[in-house]
Amino acid sequence: MISWIAIAAALLLVLYAVTAYNRLVRLRNECEQGASSIDVQLKRRADLIPNLVQSVKAYAGHESATFEAVSAARAATLAAASLDARAAADGLMQSAITGLIGVAEAYPKLRAVESFTALQAELADTEDRIAAARRYYNTVVRNRNTAIQSVPTNVVARLGGFAPAAFYRLEDDADREPVAVGLST
Amino acid sequence: MTLQQQIRSNRFRTGVVLLGFAAISLLLVGAVDLAFKPTIATFVGVGALVYGVISWFFADRMVAAAAGARKVAKADAPELFRAVENAAIGAGLTRVPDVYLIDDPAPNAFAAGRSPEHAYVAATTGLVRILDRSELEAVMAHEIAHVRNRDVRLMSLAAVLVGVIALTCDLLLRMTLWGGSSRDRDSNNPLTLVIGIAALVLAPIGAALLQMSLSRRREYLADASAAEITGDGRSLALALAKLRDDKQPLRTVTRATAHLYIESPLRDHKGLRSSLGGLFDTHPPLDERIRRLAEAGGFPVP
Repeated sequence: MISWIAIAAALLLVLYAVTAYNRLVRLRNECEQGASSIDVQLKRRADLIPNLVQSVKAYAGHESATFEAVSAARAATLAAASLDARAAADGLMQSAITGLIGVAEAYPKLRAVESFTALQAELADTEDRIAAARRYYNTVVRNRNTAIQSVPTNVVARLGGFAPAAFYRLEDDADREPVAVGLST
Repeated sequence: MTLQQQIRSNRFRTGVVLLGFAAISLLLVGAVDLAFKPTIATFVGVGALVYGVISWFFADRMVAAAAGARKVAKADAPELFRAVENAAIGAGLTRVPDVYLIDDPAPNAFAAGRSPEHAYVAATTGLVRILDRSELEAVMAHEIAHVRNRDVRLMSLAAVLVGVIALTCDLLLRMTLWGGSSRDRDSNNPLTLVIGIAALVLAPIGAALLQMSLSRRREYLADASAAEITGDGRSLALALAKLRDDKQPLRTVTRATAHLYIESPLRDHKGLRSSLGGLFDTHPPLDERIRRLAEAGGFPVP
């Protein structure tokens, strides 16, 4: 009788460990998917930059410091290998774009160019997507970290080698406010 | 409840619903057996089965057709597309659902499709017109949440089964009323006929009740998920307030698809609703949904 109870308890324990392990794997995959989704959207924004710079340059060729900042941020985005590097490049890009739009504000003729307004709309669109991807990533990271740190999943996590993931944070927490890419008219 | 628990509980409920519908179908079969010739009973039974299987696989398209929704490209409805894409990214869906538009001034929206891979969301032109960007995104996030939580699968199944039962009963009732089709040996026994007719009348009601009770709770969960997806519960509350204040009824709507919408499209049932204590409602009252969002988000009730 006692031995049967022991066997049943052991079986239950194994069953629990397997479910918990699978859950941790799923949470980890969700994080990876979230990170790659951020990546896709950041690249999408980087792809918009050359055309945007071109159209502003046509009207404000002398603002070279602004263009350099944007190009540097773009290069940093494309070169970023880790999520932290991506977040840093994201922050750079946001301030560079704010500068670029600030320059464009001074040229009413540029603001009337259709291709420029279209680019700007697409940029605003992409900013929204980046924000959504960031939010999803941080949600799944929170779920994963909660699972890894709570009892008793933490035991399975330690045995399986699951480590908590870092949140996607922008310096100075600028992600609380969307970047102002629209022109004030 | 975490998302996974929700999904699991939805699987469980799908099972319960199937059992419930099986029970209703058995009742029907019993009634048919009592009151009709065996050949007719078999014919109707096989017909209903075939109809059910076909409609499960064509449910996506049938629901769209019933709602008068047509698939649109990004250029046709850029604001709507943007809202759907953002919500899909925020929800972590690997595929952005197709977008359908319904030409109707009444603001409403729904999601359908038997799996996330086949899912689509539909919005009326009225919804796109009266909501601003963040409100539209919040409503789309609510629909996307239904897709992600596998609610649409459960609800599509419910819609198909209710459709099958309603059709069968309708058919049999008509045949009974025409007369001449009841069993020869029982033709002089009015009791069997009464039982048969009672079952035929009650079965669709039972099926509808089951469907309603399923969908009410899903709405609160989808609201909560939407607030998480957009990080903005207030916009959803504002959007729901706009839906509440708009009194236009939706033109193209059938009972079978009523539970798919973000807000109940059946306004003519208001009187019945209050007298039966919401038993037939597919949706909890909008005021209550708004209140819960406001409470969770810590902002004043709009």
